[in-house]
Amino acid sequence: MARKTPKSRRPARRPSKKRTAKPRRGFIRRLVPYVFLLFCLGAVVVAAYAVYLDGEVRSQFEGTRWTLPAKVYAAPLELYAGLDLSRSEIVSRLQRQGYRSSSSTDKAGTYETVGGSLDVHTRPFAFWDGDQADREIRMGFDSSGVASLRPLDGGDDLALIRLDPLMIGSIYPTQGEDRILVKLDEVPPMLPAGLITVEDRDFLHHWGVSPKSILRAAVANLRAGHVVQGGSTITQQLVKNFYLNNQQTLVRKAKEALMAILLDAHYSKPEILEAYLNEVYLGQDGGRAIHGFGLASYFYFQKPLEELQPNEIALLVAMVKGPSYYDPRRHPERVKARRNLVLDMFHDAGFLDDEGWAVAKKADLGVTARSSRTTSQYPAFIDLVRRQLHGQYDDADLTDDGLRIFTTLDPAIQASTEERINKGLSDIERARGITADSLQSAAVVTSVEGGRVLALVGGRDAGFAGFNRALDARRPIGSLMKPVVYLTALSEPSKYNVITPLDDSPLAVKLASGDTWRPQNYSKASHGRNVPLHYALTHSYNLATARLALDVGIPNVIETLKKLGYTGDPLAVPSLSLGAVDMAPMQVAQIYNTLAGGGYYTPLLAIRDVTTREGEPLNRYPLQIKRVVDEAPVYLTDWVMQRVARYGTGSSMYKVLPNSVNMAGKTGTTDNLRDSWFAGFGANRLAVVWVGRDDNQSAQLTGATGALQLWTRIMNDANPRGILDVPPEKVVDIPLRMRFSPGGAGSGANQDLYQYAQSCGNATDVPFIRGYVPDGLSGCDSDIMSENAARARQQQQQRESEDEGNWLQRIFR
Amino acid sequence: MIMNKRLLAVLAVILLAGCATTQRTTTYPPTGSVSEPPPSTEPRGETSRLPDRNPPQVSGGQREQPSPANQPLPPRTAEEASSPAVRSLLGRADTLARNGNMDLASSTLERALDLEPRNPFIYQRLAAVKLAQGQPGQAESMARKSNSVGGDNPFVRADNWQLIAEARRTAGDRQGASEAAAQAENYHRTSLQLTR
Repeated sequence: MARKTPKSRRPARRPSKKRTAKPRRGFIRRLVPYVFLLFCLGAVVVAAYAVYLDGEVRSQFEGTRWTLPAKVYAAPLELYAGLDLSRSEIVSRLQRQGYRSSSSTDKAGTYETVGGSLDVHTRPFAFWDGDQADREIRMGFDSSGVASLRPLDGGDDLALIRLDPLMIGSIYPTQGEDRILVKLDEVPPMLPAGLITVEDRDFLHHWGVSPKSILRAAVANLRAGHVVQGGSTITQQLVKNFYLNNQQTLVRKAKEALMAILLDAHYSKPEILEAYLNEVYLGQDGGRAIHGFGLASYFYFQKPLEELQPNEIALLVAMVKGPSYYDPRRHPERVKARRNLVLDMFHDAGFLDDEGWAVAKKADLGVTARSSRTTSQYPAFIDLVRRQLHGQYDDADLTDDGLRIFTTLDPAIQASTEERINKGLSDIERARGITADSLQSAAVVTSVEGGRVLALVGGRDAGFAGFNRALDARRPIGSLMKPVVYLTALSEPSKYNVITPLDDSPLAVKLASGDTWRPQNYSKASHGRNVPLHYALTHSYNLATARLALDVGIPNVIETLKKLGYTGDPLAVPSLSLGAVDMAPMQVAQIYNTLAGGGYYTPLLAIRDVTTREGEPLNRYPLQIKRVVDEAPVYLTDWVMQRVARYGTGSSMYKVLPNSVNMAGKTGTTDNLRDSWFAGFGANRLAVVWVGRDDNQSAQLTGATGALQLWTRIMNDANPRGILDVPPEKVVDIPLRMRFSPGGAGSGANQDLYQYAQSCGNATDVPFIRGYVPDGLSGCDSDIMSENAARARQQQQQRESEDEGNWLQRIFR
Repeated sequence: MIMNKRLLAVLAVILLAGCATTQRTTTYPPTGSVSEPPPSTEPRGETSRLPDRNPPQVSGGQREQPSPANQPLPPRTAEEASSPAVRSLLGRADTLARNGNMDLASSTLERALDLEPRNPFIYQRLAAVKLAQGQPGQAESMARKSNSVGGDNPFVRADNWQLIAEARRTAGDRQGASEAAAQAENYHRTSLQLTR
């Protein structure tokens, strides 16, 4: 462009040249004052330009020089006696956070295994609730985890201490710079010294540009015939990064030099060096540009700059020359050669002693692994964080102001959930002859109490920031709906308890559309007219559930669904009872979290606190709870869901989970085996897993053969605690012997399934709502199920004759 | 401002109760057995469903009525029910609350809850803090949640109902408040019997 414009002007100028050609000499003489004037004008223009540049240089250097994307942190690990993590689990957590194994723990960010114990020197950290100084601690272990915790630094006794939280990402614009600011006096002295040695030896003495090195570079370039060496000083490099685009023109070079001189005139060498440390480009992470040594230290080594070892400092300094050419993850050999060259320069310059030099040259690159497609470590979770922040903060607040966002993510659970899904899907595909890579999955893990999202996985390649299925893949939930139906029923204790007989006979419902809805059981068979309520849910009977839902009323089921935390507006159709409503795993998790929380709704949160860059609190997300459903029927529903896990469609979980851990849950399978769901919980963990295909074809999996397999392993890794049966005030446990023999016409089921223990000692504590215990539940040797069934028949007759009645007699008055 | 004084008084009661030095070595697993003496009045809105006023008895009586004497007492204070780590956080939260720093007190209690998610004393303190923060709705929810996770523990329930009574008074619900106060009194009596 710039070249074309003068060409097109030339023809227009020629005529004027010809006209002025005649009186040549006199013309030149007459021209002198004009040239002088022009020269003066030029000088004025250059001076004015310099003044203008000066303003630009100063305002940018002193004003908000950098946009600082918000930093996102995982939940910190709390260390205390009683923590159920083994030493190796804690060590792997320390390693994930860049703690260094060392023979002494006199520096922050180090640990040492001594005998059976573990010494850690924690890093200081500014938490949302105040600063925590670094401490040296020793932990002792026993078979169940941390047995003791004591300080080694002579400081105050401590009952617990938080590790600094893992930084899991930044919130930056789709294409943008990311950085963490550092101060010159806080970085290892070897870094600035090394930079000066390698990049600009005259830095401390030149005045922004270095004619000597320009000359040296020019000679080298002339000799080679092309550009092999840059004569740029650190100041010029800073200017280039800071103010200018990447055009390689002479004008730009001149502008760069001028600005460098101005910068050098205005600011001290340390100020310029500090700006350089924070500005220099050191790598690319998808759309995110890694700027400055502070972030590069985390990006490549997952630890703060001040903890870097000489070989690591040298690596970063080596990369300055060309972060893409010397990308240690892509070209480790090439980088190692240059790093060692840089280490030699450190050594020659005298700030790396012989021993350190030898050790550093032998060291590996030490760069943490990271898949090439990763744009942040946990894109699905960061996506959730962004959405929860949305509306409270402008985009610019999040991308520019360096906010600190403290989240609920548990990195260990997140990592194992990702791995279990990735590996589990491949295993299932292999074992069942399903096309490789055809299945997809999503999962949510929460803390139950407090509603904290501990892990979120949006697909089988968790590092890939694509479609976030955990939040956006809305699929029919199938039988996951059933507990909502049963909870609705059990909320009417005068009509239903857990042993109420339900009718599982075939059903046909005329719909408003004119069609007829004919649900079927998974086995295609009916189980008779007297299936105990708990049994119908345990074995996920469709007919009994559909009839029950029609009995309690679909609108009432929808009301329960909404109370539990569903915000959509499902159609009030009979098939809703069997899960004809589309939900994302996160929505299911919200509903089941309320069931797990005993009827107390807590909004699922990914964020705990937001502070400014300086640590001033901006926003807390305090625990909010709301009692949305009566505890008693929820307790009954959870009790039945424990039987699902123990004896029903979820029972294969105990092939992996310890028998002693009481879990509750529900499988979900949709038409044509398209969606495979499992939602389940213990006392401290809830997980929802979906497995299916993106093209919505049949996944050929039931809830039990697909999602449950992943769920079980995810749960097993998440330190689950079993449900403690603590009945609420209004619930009473009655030991009953439950023997159910469906018999009768219409039952095609295997009768052996229904044989419960005969002996009185094997009675089960069955929960009832106080005041609604059916009478006649006397000895443990009577078959209460058949009595119950008989009573129901009697009741049915009574109801038909009286039109109103209640087969349950209250025995307590 | 009169209201505020009263709230702070309740808060102080609750917080100081936690600092009581009664030490017991055994802890009592929360249970909800048939023998539980039911409250004389039920929470609002549920009264109609629960007319029973006497302790329920299952015909056949498979379970013996455990006498207070041969059963360990449920924990009366957070000291008894909590691990050292949680005790330390509760102590910190108490200090923060006494200094009027309710936000941080609440945040510290939530930290404790992460460690022991079903410790009723943590929810109880959260209820007290919410009350002091002028959030009676949240205070009642927290107190009821404390009841829910605490099981059959009249010490915890008596204090929780007292908090609920206070929360309802704050919210202007006089009748609800006196019902809750009656519950508190009832559980208080039960707890006295237990300690006798």
